[in-house]
Amino acid sequence: MSPPSTTPNDILVAKDVIVRFETAEGPIVAVDNVSFDVRPGEFLSVIGPSGCGKSSLFNVIGGLLTNHQGTVQVAGETIDGPHKSIGMVFQEESTFPWRNVVDNVAFPLELIGMPKAKRVERAKYFIKLVGLDGFENRYPGELSGGMRQRVSLARTLASEPKILLMDEPFAALDEQTRLLLGDKVLQIQQQLQQTTLLITHNITEAVQMSDRILVMTYRPGKVKRIVDINLPRPRTSEIVGSEAFGRYVAEIWADLREEASRGMKDEEQHALNEAPAS
Amino acid sequence: MSAPGRRFAIYDALPAAVGIATVIAFFAALEGLIQGGVVNRFIVPPPSEIIGSFGRVFVEEHIVSRFFFTLGECLMAGVMITVFGVAGGFLLYRYKLLQQATETWVAALAAAPVVLAYPLFMVIFGRSAWTIIMIGFVAALPPVILKTLEGLSGTRKVLVNVGKSFNLTGSQQFWKIMFPAALPTMFVGVRLGLIFALINIVGVEFLINYGGLGQLINDLAERYDLAGTYAAICFVILVSVVFFMSLEKAERWLRPVD
Amino acid sequence: MAETGRLTRTAPSAPLLSPVTLLRVAIILGVLAGWELLSRSGWLYRDVVPSWLAIGKALADLLSSGEYYFNLGVTAAEIGAALAIGGISGMAVGILLGANRFLAKAFEPYLYYLGPTPKIIFFPIMIMWFGVGPGSKIALGTLSCFFPVALSAAAGMRQIDKVLIKVGKSFRANTWQTVWKIYLPAMRHPIINGVRLGLGVALIGTLLAETKLSNKGVGFLIIQAYSVFDMPRMYAMLIVLFVLAIGANALVGRLGGLHTIRR
Repeated sequence: MSPPSTTPNDILVAKDVIVRFETAEGPIVAVDNVSFDVRPGEFLSVIGPSGCGKSSLFNVIGGLLTNHQGTVQVAGETIDGPHKSIGMVFQEESTFPWRNVVDNVAFPLELIGMPKAKRVERAKYFIKLVGLDGFENRYPGELSGGMRQRVSLARTLASEPKILLMDEPFAALDEQTRLLLGDKVLQIQQQLQQTTLLITHNITEAVQMSDRILVMTYRPGKVKRIVDINLPRPRTSEIVGSEAFGRYVAEIWADLREEASRGMKDEEQHALNEAPAS
Repeated sequence: MSAPGRRFAIYDALPAAVGIATVIAFFAALEGLIQGGVVNRFIVPPPSEIIGSFGRVFVEEHIVSRFFFTLGECLMAGVMITVFGVAGGFLLYRYKLLQQATETWVAALAAAPVVLAYPLFMVIFGRSAWTIIMIGFVAALPPVILKTLEGLSGTRKVLVNVGKSFNLTGSQQFWKIMFPAALPTMFVGVRLGLIFALINIVGVEFLINYGGLGQLINDLAERYDLAGTYAAICFVILVSVVFFMSLEKAERWLRPVD
Repeated sequence: MAETGRLTRTAPSAPLLSPVTLLRVAIILGVLAGWELLSRSGWLYRDVVPSWLAIGKALADLLSSGEYYFNLGVTAAEIGAALAIGGISGMAVGILLGANRFLAKAFEPYLYYLGPTPKIIFFPIMIMWFGVGPGSKIALGTLSCFFPVALSAAAGMRQIDKVLIKVGKSFRANTWQTVWKIYLPAMRHPIINGVRLGLGVALIGTLLAETKLSNKGVGFLIIQAYSVFDMPRMYAMLIVLFVLAIGANALVGRLGGLHTIRR
């Protein structure tokens, strides 16, 4: 495992990030000395078993968690709060139910004071980009889960972030919708040359979309491996069937499996400890 | 107590202490302002004087007997709302047509300002305890009816099926399954009703200058006994709060552990 | 009987003639008839139950008298002021308590336990502080509606989907923007409900105060009718009052529903 090298072109650099939490059972280390870099225009996935600290990492990079050691720098600036160059897409439903699609997507533009006509036009561009043209005046309550996630994505893209940071955005969707939305995201990413950082636990998704994959260990989360995915671009979900694809998945699963079983054993131990005395 | 347990107790005790400290500080500041002449003592008596007059009011104004008078009115209203409320709720549950026709009316009555009609009740029942009790009754009846209906209708289907599978008769089904299952919700209704009743009863006592605690406040106010009025109001609020808290404890005790 | 048969056949396609409506009409007619009977029987003291004719006439007189509308205006203004002051301060306190867990633990229990208490007993104090004019009525109305609004707002804050706040943070919304564009819209249902409750108790508080000590307003008119034993007029005023109160309650509730954009 070679230490991640940072080049002057790197758009995001994480260095020795450590995240600790106080729990009822004492302090735990969620993220342990994680360092990596993200190159401009690349699609980097962070994959790991449940409990590997990837959500904590997501919150650190997004600036929502500032109580950590180590630094994360975006284009030279250290992050100590949500940074304007980073756009976040959350795992949970996050559209505003009281606003229609266009008003949801225009939200970040509204915050910076863009005049109405201009922000509506801008919003419509991104709505079209995610394939929801025609739905501008609908409300999230009228849309399916997948469509709502697309609205969230369009909203984040509308703020034109240098880095798109996504935390398992398709976790709540069924497999087929997920694959198709993955296609859409890839298409958009390639069109916009958008640097993207995806947190996921889904190997297929990671291999399908990424240029590189960062594999994390179980808690305390460290960088186990960084895998270069040398599959040809442009990619679609059809690639899922290819042999090279299968090999990458197998390789990553081999790494993950070890970590995932450690995680499972840990949880079983936990449940045993909490068992009420009969 | 394990370490986590101890930790959490501190997390709860500190804000409570801050709350109490703030209240005490507020009254201390008030005392200071009044004694210093910044606040007119003939509009707001100093807290020390109010506390001082508690003893006097207690003895001279027969607070104990007044308290029991008001309590008696509440109990009467309570019994009435329980009997008629549960019966009414049961009727609405049993006769679906009746429920569909009148449920919204009962809900509207719950939202209606019944106490505003107290002059009307006075015409009918005179300036007496019955006016007070009847207003308390009418105002507090709807929640009992609605909650009884809700409790009976909301019995989990599976429990009803258990009864059916044992071939219970209609009466057995009701008394052994529906009624016990509905009891917690019914008690919530009675609790709500009792609170409505107390508020309305004390209020009307004050308004018509008849009765126990509410009347005391009116009396002291008309006699311009400033400190006494404040003291009596504090006492009534205290009684009200204790009443509410005891009802909550009773409900928690009655409710099976979820 | 043939008529019933006809109705039953057409019932499904004519909701107006449904059994529910029939029952309601029957109950209303029964009450009206019973009332009229009671009135004419001389059973009760004569004017305690006036005939519908008398009440109807009093109602017509009332609704065509400028004096009534003047007093209605006074009461409405008092209630409006009470709701505005109590509502806004209640909302502000509620939002603060909902946002900060420590403050909530320290102070919310006071609001919770002091809420269900009779507020009218504070009226003598309000008179001392604000005089015998509208001020004391508004003050009592404000005191009444502060509590339900504050408690609803606090509860409303806590039920906001946490992810929506994270979205605001991720886009670096400032405090003002977060409150206006996220907190308040997300709380619209609890707020509307709190306002509905607040309106109800402000109405009661203000009107009761008017009946106790006032020379203006609907409450004053009611007590005046009582003191001269003008029962038809009192019934008429109570009917109008209840219709307005229940109507306002339903209106506010409906307003909340119109903005329903539920997940």
